[in-house]
Amino acid sequence: MNIYVCIKQVPDTETKIKLSGDSAVDMAGVKWIMSPYDEFAVEEALRLKEKNAGSTVTVLSAGAPRVVEAIRTALAMGADNGIHVELPETADNNMAARALAGALKKEAKVDVVFTGKEAIDDGAAQTSQLIAEYAGYPCVTVVLNVEYGAGSVKCKREIEGGAFEIVEAPMPVVIAAQKGLNEPRYASLPNIMKAKKKEVKVLKAADVGVSDADQKIRLKGFQLPAPKQAGKKIAGDAATQAKELVRLLHEEAKVV
Amino acid sequence: MTWQTPLFLVVAGAAFGYSGYKFSHLIKMMKAHQGKKERLDHIAARLVTTLVNVLGQKQVLKKPGIGIAHTIIFWGFLIITVGTLEQFISTIYQGASFQFVGHHLYGAWVMLHDVFTFGVLLAVFYACYRRFVVRPQGLGKSRDANLILLFTGSLMVSIFLMHGFQILGAGAGGEGDMWFAGLMPFSNAVAKALGSFGLSAEANAQLGTFFKWVHMSLVLGFAMYIPGSKHLHVVAAGPNTFLRRLPREKGMTPINFEDEKVTQYGAAKVTDLAWKDALDYYSCTECGRCQDLCPAYNTQKPLSPKALIIDLKHNLFDNKDRILAGKLDEVTPAIDANVTEDVIWACTSCRACEIACPVFIEQTDKIYEIRRDLVMMQSRFPTEVQTVFKNMETNATPWAFSSAERANWAEGLNLKTMAQDSQVDVLLWVGCAGSYDDRNKKVLRAFVNLLKKAEVKFAILGNEEQCTGDPARRIGNEYLYQTLAKANVETMNRYNVKNVVTACPHCFNTIKNEYGDFGGHYEVMHHSQFIAKLISEGKIKPTKPFQETVTFHDSCYLGRWNNVYEQPRAVIESLPAVRMVEMSANHDKSMCCGAGGGRMWMEEKIGKRINVTRTEQAIATKAGVIASSCPFCMTMMSDGVKTKEMTDKVRVMDIAELIDQATP
Repeated sequence: MNIYVCIKQVPDTETKIKLSGDSAVDMAGVKWIMSPYDEFAVEEALRLKEKNAGSTVTVLSAGAPRVVEAIRTALAMGADNGIHVELPETADNNMAARALAGALKKEAKVDVVFTGKEAIDDGAAQTSQLIAEYAGYPCVTVVLNVEYGAGSVKCKREIEGGAFEIVEAPMPVVIAAQKGLNEPRYASLPNIMKAKKKEVKVLKAADVGVSDADQKIRLKGFQLPAPKQAGKKIAGDAATQAKELVRLLHEEAKVV
Repeated sequence: MTWQTPLFLVVAGAAFGYSGYKFSHLIKMMKAHQGKKERLDHIAARLVTTLVNVLGQKQVLKKPGIGIAHTIIFWGFLIITVGTLEQFISTIYQGASFQFVGHHLYGAWVMLHDVFTFGVLLAVFYACYRRFVVRPQGLGKSRDANLILLFTGSLMVSIFLMHGFQILGAGAGGEGDMWFAGLMPFSNAVAKALGSFGLSAEANAQLGTFFKWVHMSLVLGFAMYIPGSKHLHVVAAGPNTFLRRLPREKGMTPINFEDEKVTQYGAAKVTDLAWKDALDYYSCTECGRCQDLCPAYNTQKPLSPKALIIDLKHNLFDNKDRILAGKLDEVTPAIDANVTEDVIWACTSCRACEIACPVFIEQTDKIYEIRRDLVMMQSRFPTEVQTVFKNMETNATPWAFSSAERANWAEGLNLKTMAQDSQVDVLLWVGCAGSYDDRNKKVLRAFVNLLKKAEVKFAILGNEEQCTGDPARRIGNEYLYQTLAKANVETMNRYNVKNVVTACPHCFNTIKNEYGDFGGHYEVMHHSQFIAKLISEGKIKPTKPFQETVTFHDSCYLGRWNNVYEQPRAVIESLPAVRMVEMSANHDKSMCCGAGGGRMWMEEKIGKRINVTRTEQAIATKAGVIASSCPFCMTMMSDGVKTKEMTDKVRVMDIAELIDQATP
């Protein structure tokens, strides 16, 4: 099988975002990791490969040169090769999806494309569907379990209210992984060593038909949320407390 | 030449031939081990430790009762073996004897021989009493042990029967002139008893010869039995003591990841361990002292250090044919039905087993080599550990915090970082617990107060400090450990750091003993040592009375790993009006809090919780304060006190906090 995984490099979960002025995020000192949901995607791809002899897993990522580190992480987990589509730092979900779909279209045969259900930086949950749209594949999101048939997949996905639904789709298909799909592996040392020697193909935006016009979102400015304030204790008897609570909710919190 | 000579040559030749053949297998199996341990340096120190511990039986005598019995058996073995040798020689060359050494020396030896034969017999009776009546838990049941006691006892009895009949039959064609018979009080007593049978001198002489053959047959039988028995101990324990890890060598052995010829990291099979590890199995006589003190075993975890050594030995022996045939790739995995992954993960690396072992077996080495294989080669470890590795990889701390917030604990303290001023007397190594854990941040603040009161010129590394890598190393991720270790050494060397002080025994051990392998050579002090020094120099004067009973909980990495037992106690005793009490398990027999060896970050799913068990021991002293000197012990003991719902009666305090509150 020809298995593909689209991943995104994001700031580490513990990063405290700082701004440089009000127009950009301060990237200095940011630790970059593979988005955690993408790890489930990589793991699922590797398990599928292990069940089907002769399969290959190719990892794709679109973005600045630094994203190659995330590709290497996936290669260390056991993916076979990588494709890096170079995009500017400002690239949005649409541009990334265009680039990734374009790269997939250049491949001889695609059976399954895995992604995370969302990236933890912007939390947009857009890219998987957009890739599917641009590549002309069906897409199943928030997937917790996949059964593989001949030429089709049966996915269990989470829906509102803690319920699940089963979706069948023909291959090639884009599957967006939810936490719980699997337990991602920790790269073994021999695989880390091997990953250093694996090939990562580099494509320019133009190679996959992406232009500046594909960037639909232009960020105007950045603002940090107001720092969390200490809790307030309202004194007095029940009637006074209730009155004061309503006043605070109305005047300070502005919610009633 | 009589019939005895050819018969003996044939029998002894066969017995020693068989035994030698078995021993050659043992040596070949040892040599087949792929791991490396260099143990032929510091010959003088090795000779001293061998004299003290083999001839002097120092470690053995740490347990008085059975220690004395063992010492008698051991010395008896040395003295009686000379007699056995004389017997063998005189059977081949009739009439040959060691009497050429002179009557005085020979007579003295004869007397010692007689006394020790009796002593060994008594010691064997005591050992039987202990094994069959007292039945200490660590000993367990062993057919092998029963046979060994039977063999040893029979050997002594056969000596007395032989000597008794020889004395009665002296001059009647037996042993000739027995001028030394009077020097054998116990044999004479036996002779007197045997004399009551009223046999002729000839008959007695013949019975003397008969029991000589009984004795020699037992010796030869024993020689054949030993290679396949735990009694192999008598041959291996001496060399194992000589080849022990000397006290100066505390660190784990680094792996050279640059060496591309190395394809196996850690031990997937017993043969991936080192030859010394095999010698360890050969030396083990299953006394159970390791098991008695093991915190994992004592809280119903599947690990017993004794069982581990026996099981690895069985694994080795089960693979004997493959190893002897040179088929190392067919050797079965070290993890098997007995040595399970749960066994390997249960270890807290407290080292109580190694310190207790009378023959210096290195139990933890095996566990940590197997962990290296599980983690680095197979990615198999408790699931919760993966987050720990990831945190260490991205944020250089096992906990989920940003490396950019490492120095936040020091807000408002006006501390200098090395980047601001590296011209200081000492670098304060904060460690991850001091940086991120709320309870331990308070300990650090107390220690900083003390440093300021004593006007010590110090600085911290701030956000440049990274985890020492100790948790990764103990869990088995040597690769991650080395990444962190090298980064820290690079940082410290850049600032030309000479002196380091830290409140964390794990950081202390790693920087002091393990960073040398990566070019980091520093004078490292634990804060207990540092505070003790400041007090003795009069730079800190705890004057406020502390009307409390305090019990000190030893940290494994301070105590057993680095032999620091007295300074933390001295620090506590410097508090005016303080009363100190010891827990039943203290100093080198202290029980681990349960957090070492990476266990701090693993769930404890099997058996009773180690920290609760240790806290119960502390509570039993009725002390109002449990003093700790390690951030992990602090966490574990505090949790233990909470579990026991004793927070209103018992406080857990770091020694720095104790001194800070008493120092104006």
